[in-house]
Amino acid sequence: MGYIAKKIIQLILTLMLVSIITFAAFWVVPGDPARIILGPNATAEQVDSLSEELGLDRPISERYLQWLGSALTLNLGQSLSFKTPVNELIAQKLPVTIALSVISLMLTMAVSFPLAMIAARRPGKLTDHVVSVVTHSFFAVPPFVLSIFLTLIFGIGLKWFQVGVFIPHDRDFWGFIGCMIMPSIAIALPKIAMALKFIRSSILSEKEKDYVRTAKSHGLSDADVMRKHILPNALVPVITVFAIISADILGGSLIVEQVFGLPGIGRLLLQGISSRDFPLTEGIIIYLAGMIAIVYFVADILHSLIDPRIRLK
Amino acid sequence: MQTDTVFFESFSRKSTAIRFIVAMMIFFVLTSIFGCRNPAESSAEVSSKDGIRSGGEVIVGITQEPSLFDPHTVVAAGDEEILFNIFEGLVKCTSDGQFVPALATDYTISEDATTYIFNIRTGVKFHNGDTLTPEDVVFSLKRASGLLTGTALKPDLAGIKDVRISGENEVTVEFISPDAEMIPFFTTAIIPESVSDIGSTPIGTGPFVFLEYRVGESVVLGKNNAYWQEGLPYLDKVTFKITAGMDAAFLELQSGSIDIFPYLTADKAEQIKDRYQILSGNTNMVQVLALNNAAEPFNNPLVRQAVNYAIDRQDLSNLIMEGQSTLLTTGMSPAMGDYYDATVDGTITYNPDKAKALLEEAGYPDGFRSTIKVPSNYQIHVDTAIVLADQLARVGIMVDIVSVDWATWLSDVYQGRNYDSTVIALTSEYTPRDVLSRYVSTSEGNFINYFNSDFDSIYSQIQSEISLDERIALYKQLQQLLVSDYASVYLQDPKNIVAVKNEIKGYLVYPIYVQDMSTVYFAE
Repeated sequence: MGYIAKKIIQLILTLMLVSIITFAAFWVVPGDPARIILGPNATAEQVDSLSEELGLDRPISERYLQWLGSALTLNLGQSLSFKTPVNELIAQKLPVTIALSVISLMLTMAVSFPLAMIAARRPGKLTDHVVSVVTHSFFAVPPFVLSIFLTLIFGIGLKWFQVGVFIPHDRDFWGFIGCMIMPSIAIALPKIAMALKFIRSSILSEKEKDYVRTAKSHGLSDADVMRKHILPNALVPVITVFAIISADILGGSLIVEQVFGLPGIGRLLLQGISSRDFPLTEGIIIYLAGMIAIVYFVADILHSLIDPRIRLK
Repeated sequence: MQTDTVFFESFSRKSTAIRFIVAMMIFFVLTSIFGCRNPAESSAEVSSKDGIRSGGEVIVGITQEPSLFDPHTVVAAGDEEILFNIFEGLVKCTSDGQFVPALATDYTISEDATTYIFNIRTGVKFHNGDTLTPEDVVFSLKRASGLLTGTALKPDLAGIKDVRISGENEVTVEFISPDAEMIPFFTTAIIPESVSDIGSTPIGTGPFVFLEYRVGESVVLGKNNAYWQEGLPYLDKVTFKITAGMDAAFLELQSGSIDIFPYLTADKAEQIKDRYQILSGNTNMVQVLALNNAAEPFNNPLVRQAVNYAIDRQDLSNLIMEGQSTLLTTGMSPAMGDYYDATVDGTITYNPDKAKALLEEAGYPDGFRSTIKVPSNYQIHVDTAIVLADQLARVGIMVDIVSVDWATWLSDVYQGRNYDSTVIALTSEYTPRDVLSRYVSTSEGNFINYFNSDFDSIYSQIQSEISLDERIALYKQLQQLLVSDYASVYLQDPKNIVAVKNEIKGYLVYPIYVQDMSTVYFAE
């Protein structure tokens, strides 16, 4: 069996497990979607008729199996509260979450690599300490707290951006990207410390190796040794770390969306849970689990590309 | 030192990758400074008359995702506050709680209160350009009352026997049994017969036209240029922005991204008052510490009485609402005007000694342990529960606060009636019947399990009573029963505190859950 086929089967099994856990949660937690839509002042008759319309009169286990059947054909069903296909809702909200994740990841890389190189240049010296202390203090603050600080300082205090303004990507793409910058910084700051620590120690352990001394003795400059020899080798373990960070970033973006009032997947997920919208919640969770699995898959492939000794097994 | 310089030079000169990184960082900083600005901000085209600028657009912050746009099936208050601007009924509620003719020019009620005759306004246009006809009125009332399909979409109208055109621009509604109090329910939206799916194409006669709904973002309404009320509305566009909850909304208020925000707490309003006018009004809400009359120990009237005396309502109002609320004794707010029985005011006062004595009499000399289940999405109720727990502890009642989400509250507390006590605000249509109907023993809304056969029999008399004075007297008796039975602890009618940007005028606070945008304008 090919490597890819094996991975795909693994992915499907993981997603099945995730969907069963979500289903179990819905089974246990109280709440009637029709009553939530209609509110307390609705009569039982009104609630019953809406339940019937939404197909809620059948037991949840039956609805789950039906959902699973259609999910296998990539149809995630119809949202109860929005009466819209879940795929469509996710597609509408995905740009926000993807943009947030990609920009935060780029920011994390753009900042952590140069800083790590500076820190690793002279370990234990002042620059190293300054970099560590500054980044670690951000590491200690959770993204949603950082979000609130950033909003207070740059939004309300300095007025660099307007709080709560969201420009849809199909209206003004650069405006949309602009709205994503502050939230992305809030997500990226804690991750930078994490990435930095790994890259730094990875570079340091490579610097100790014999090939570095050999390269230097051949007359290569420090910079060339760093760029051509140390960095590529140091990158191998770092890729795994970035896979973990990417998954983290995805999770972080769901929370940060809330503080910045961005209508992304996180908002939709909360809405799905609080309105007990089973197909919507299942759909989003499967989607997120799938995305994380794909990130790890890509990391595996990158590994093998950078280090030919690692074969896709 | 030497090696360091070489190293840094390699950053800036040699490595294109690093140059790219630096360029990207600069780009990020620049976009974050110039990026996220609302492009529509300065585009308002306006004309001026009597200090009123016509035109412009306003952003109203809301915290609930709208779920339904069909005005006949809608029940959730969060939906109605938007639809009020799109749809209208034969009558309309005003900001001082009166019901005035809207799509009807006038109406008469027959002597025996079984027949209502409406004269339909002429020259009114629906948003799709069609003219309002008596046929549309008949269709709408039949649809809402269940005469078309058999199930009443609006249960309050289920008593309608027949709706027919009885003359030129005249519609007659006939009821199965006499009912003199139906006028408030004729706020039911009149919709065009020609539109088949009103839920996805909301077309009414209201001051604003539905333009767009983006899930999780906003509902956008535009000006109805053909509105029948001369000169209204003033605004070109109203955006109901769905915020990610109270905290996110408050950050947006502080930065000025939201123009109007209702249901603000008093302490938050205080913080933004230099930029916003703070308006307030009665809401006709009844915030209550609901006691489960069927569960130990609140099935004992003495215990309920004790709890009533243990609560310091004024202290609660000061702590939670900064005094911005009307204290309650019975299950109706004074906002209901003539129907409210003012004689109950002050009959229950804070008296912890009396509460302790009553507890002893009830067989709980050392107090007892109990829980308050409170819906976590309503900060005001959570805060209230904390204050109440503290007050109750002083008379020996130890309370655990169990915070549950709204869905759980609805199914466990409201439907399942599985709780000791809870804090909630009872909302209702602006009619005394709607306020008091939940205490009828067979009512679905009677989640406190109140039972008094006298209450049931008086309530059933009211409907057929034709004399208004008699009906008012009966409603007052019902309120007195709630007090003498200590049905629950009625706390306060919290004021609706609305923040409105200083340059925006004309906003009216309603005693019902609506945002009327038709009178809102920008001042010169």
